[in-house]
Amino acid sequence: MHLFIVTVFVAAGYLALSGLSAALAFSHADAWTVWFASGLTLGLLLVRPRSSWIAILAGAFIGAAVFALLLGGRLDALGYGALEVLTAAAGAWVASRMTNLPAHLDHPRELAALVFGGALSQAIIGALIAAIWNVTSGGEEGVATFRLWALSNFAGTLIVAPLVIAWAQFRPKRSGGLPMPAFAGGAIACALFLVSIFLLFRAGPDDYLGGNVGRGLIYEPVVFMALLALVWGLRGATFAAAAGALIALFYTKAGRGPFAGIQGYLGDPALEAQAYIVAISLTGMLIAVLAASQRIAARAAREWQTRFEAAIGAHRLVAYEWDPASGRMVVTGDTAQLLGAASARIATLADWLALLMPDDRERVAVRFDQRAQARGAPDSISYRVAGPDAAPLAVSDEARAIVDHDGELHRVVGLVRVAPARLPDGLREWGQ
Amino acid sequence: MSAIAEAVTPPIAQSGASPSAAPDGVFLIHGLGGTQYDLGSMHKRLKNAGLVTHSLTLPGHGTKPEDLADVTAEQWIDAVIAKYREVRDLHPRLHLMGMCMGSLLAAVVAQREKHASGSLVMLAPPVYIDGWATPWYRVLRPLLYWVPGIRTMKIEEEDPYGIKNEQLRAIVKAKFERGENFHYRWVPLECIRQVDRLRKVVMTKANDIRCPTLVVHAREDELTSLASANFLVEQIGGTRARMVVLEDSYHMVCVDNDREIVAKSVLEFLGAALPGATSVLANDPRMTHDELHSAVGAAMARLAGGDLAGLRELAIPDLTWVQPGANAISGAHAGKKFASFAARVTDSLALRFVAPGNTVFNRGVALAPATMVATNAGAQLESQGALLLAFHGGKLLEARWFADEVEREDAFFGAPNPEAEGPSQLEAEFDKAAAASKMLKSAPDNDTLLALYSLFKQAGSGDVAGERPGALDMINRAKFDAWAKRKGTSREDAMKAYVELVSRLTKEDG
Repeated sequence: MHLFIVTVFVAAGYLALSGLSAALAFSHADAWTVWFASGLTLGLLLVRPRSSWIAILAGAFIGAAVFALLLGGRLDALGYGALEVLTAAAGAWVASRMTNLPAHLDHPRELAALVFGGALSQAIIGALIAAIWNVTSGGEEGVATFRLWALSNFAGTLIVAPLVIAWAQFRPKRSGGLPMPAFAGGAIACALFLVSIFLLFRAGPDDYLGGNVGRGLIYEPVVFMALLALVWGLRGATFAAAAGALIALFYTKAGRGPFAGIQGYLGDPALEAQAYIVAISLTGMLIAVLAASQRIAARAAREWQTRFEAAIGAHRLVAYEWDPASGRMVVTGDTAQLLGAASARIATLADWLALLMPDDRERVAVRFDQRAQARGAPDSISYRVAGPDAAPLAVSDEARAIVDHDGELHRVVGLVRVAPARLPDGLREWGQ
Repeated sequence: MSAIAEAVTPPIAQSGASPSAAPDGVFLIHGLGGTQYDLGSMHKRLKNAGLVTHSLTLPGHGTKPEDLADVTAEQWIDAVIAKYREVRDLHPRLHLMGMCMGSLLAAVVAQREKHASGSLVMLAPPVYIDGWATPWYRVLRPLLYWVPGIRTMKIEEEDPYGIKNEQLRAIVKAKFERGENFHYRWVPLECIRQVDRLRKVVMTKANDIRCPTLVVHAREDELTSLASANFLVEQIGGTRARMVVLEDSYHMVCVDNDREIVAKSVLEFLGAALPGATSVLANDPRMTHDELHSAVGAAMARLAGGDLAGLRELAIPDLTWVQPGANAISGAHAGKKFASFAARVTDSLALRFVAPGNTVFNRGVALAPATMVATNAGAQLESQGALLLAFHGGKLLEARWFADEVEREDAFFGAPNPEAEGPSQLEAEFDKAAAASKMLKSAPDNDTLLALYSLFKQAGSGDVAGERPGALDMINRAKFDAWAKRKGTSREDAMKAYVELVSRLTKEDG
């Protein structure tokens, strides 16, 4: 029952997106600017478990066949349905060779798998078969068919497939996720992006913002896309890219916007518009994916730090790294709790020595100097520090110098174990 | 760090209650999707301060999240009101305390039952769902309530899980990953709707709350902003409501960085016994002069007989003994550590306090000149000084010995021995056995479980105390009875028996 529902929804979605693509096509040239529907199939294959692939492909077959049936004969419908299934499966298979599925698009490798493995291979395989089909069935536009199919399919897939992948992972949350200030910042960037696209494409090529500013500002929306991708991440970027693409294609088809009437290097407005939305979409995705991978790396580092701090904290340990050349010291651990001084306040050896009981300072300072000369020999020393409540605490300090390949001193690193306080916090003054 | 955001008249500190009367009670209500874990160690802290706690598991909780889908706000309200009526007459004062949604329910009880016998404590009340980490689409939820077929849609809990402390958050995440049932990982959309309905009830009738109220709220609460606390204090009125703002916590205030501040603020607000003589001097002792005289006499009699362990019968579980100097017995010995301290000084030093002079009383504190007598390796010490005993509500909170010549005591008892501060061999074995008991592959039978429980409690808390649970509460009644059978068993004997039992079970477990 579940798979049947998936099939029905995919077929319906496929038909809807096909209709949308048809509405944006240049009817005078029968040129399909974008073909969105294949992006739905590929996106679902990349994000759903393999157990549901049959249902997704069945839905795509039905959607493609029905749509083709509305335009042509039964044989064409069957052939088109089969072609859709074959190309989507091939694209998903190639992508799966490049990265693990299901895709999350939070790593550049996954983005490469989607763009080059999934979207591009799907577009080229489909275009090749379509061109051969055209030629073998008596047509004379094999090359044109190949180009038209490949470009419209690639552009449409790059708009829809990331949108599907990003939003398939959406789960409503009670708390967590994007904080409100970040959402507001992203909303402003999104509004600027859509408004700039709208103004750019609603106007004629020489009438942007009330004047002739040439084509230099055509890529102005990319800046806003970059901003919103940074803040909103992949879901926001794919949503805005899809909305922006619809605006751009709508006005381009209507003969307006920066590409209308221009014979650019790609040859006609449709191709210019395709290149434009691909550039916008790729920019947004690339920035969102890079930001996501940064966030994952930062989270992994934070988790590592948390584990390390838990381990040393449980043993009442403080770790330090001392650079004898500069005198700088970096201390890790809950020094505020154990020693009564935040680690940020201990920046030099002098700061560390200041925590010691006055009688011990000179002895320990001499020992640190000896450690710097020891060239890697381990050393341990016990001394007393004035704890959080100025009650002396015994510590044992084990250190070792780290030397480079030439035997030159690099750092002195050490672990300090703080003996348990004899009196609980807040009661020491009574125990004196 | 915390700040009292609004200076108000101090809350109730009713006096006149007899120490022989039943202690005050606190009714604790957990949050949405949660359990008593939401309240951290609050149960224990309240019990240790001499209060009796009551709690309930709200309808739809403690099982699986799907069970929340069919629960209404009225069912939650009915459940807490029923429990409130069940326990309110058991205590001279019953306080209401709730965490998150539980605080809204506590407020509704206070409104509807015209609660006046005790106070109301609202921890992180979500009057507004507008915290910094609540998602942007929260404003769409009233629309979603009208969409058919999505009432069971999962609304998930995510990082930071209401916890600012990274270590604690890692623990909570691990608990979620292990599938522990301490908190639902998600709740159905429908129950968010019920919370919204509850919020409306509280908002419209907040000014019906007539009891002293404490609102504890974190400035960085990711689920509900400080506007919620401000709203409640304004509606209830500054003369009745006090607000404590926490500066280093997120939503789960009872387990996060500021948990100690929360516990102390709550205990102080409820007029409960706080460990420490200074708090006794600051608060109403809730004892008459005669009662204080009698209690001090009982304590001095035990001290004169060298029965330090006997002080526990007169004290709160967290009793602290402060011994001055820098010697083998000096330090602050609190709670369970006091038990081992008392056993050590009694068995090996025959420590006692004799020849008390004229005792001076001030509120709940008594200061008595005395002579400490101890024997060590054939030598005897007689050290002059004064004993300070701090009482609250008939219970001894703290005892401090002030020696006239601390140096003599240092010389007599010898240098501090850090090893002595740590657990004894038997205590270490006991802790090890307690850990091992949780690793048994097969669950022991009920009789064995009861034996384990009773020995553990006897070793950790001494003789059973409190009321025997009712006949309907069969499990807790059986546990109580098993513990009661151990009455009189020494801490050491209970520990030894526990270690032997666990050892046997471990062997049988293979």
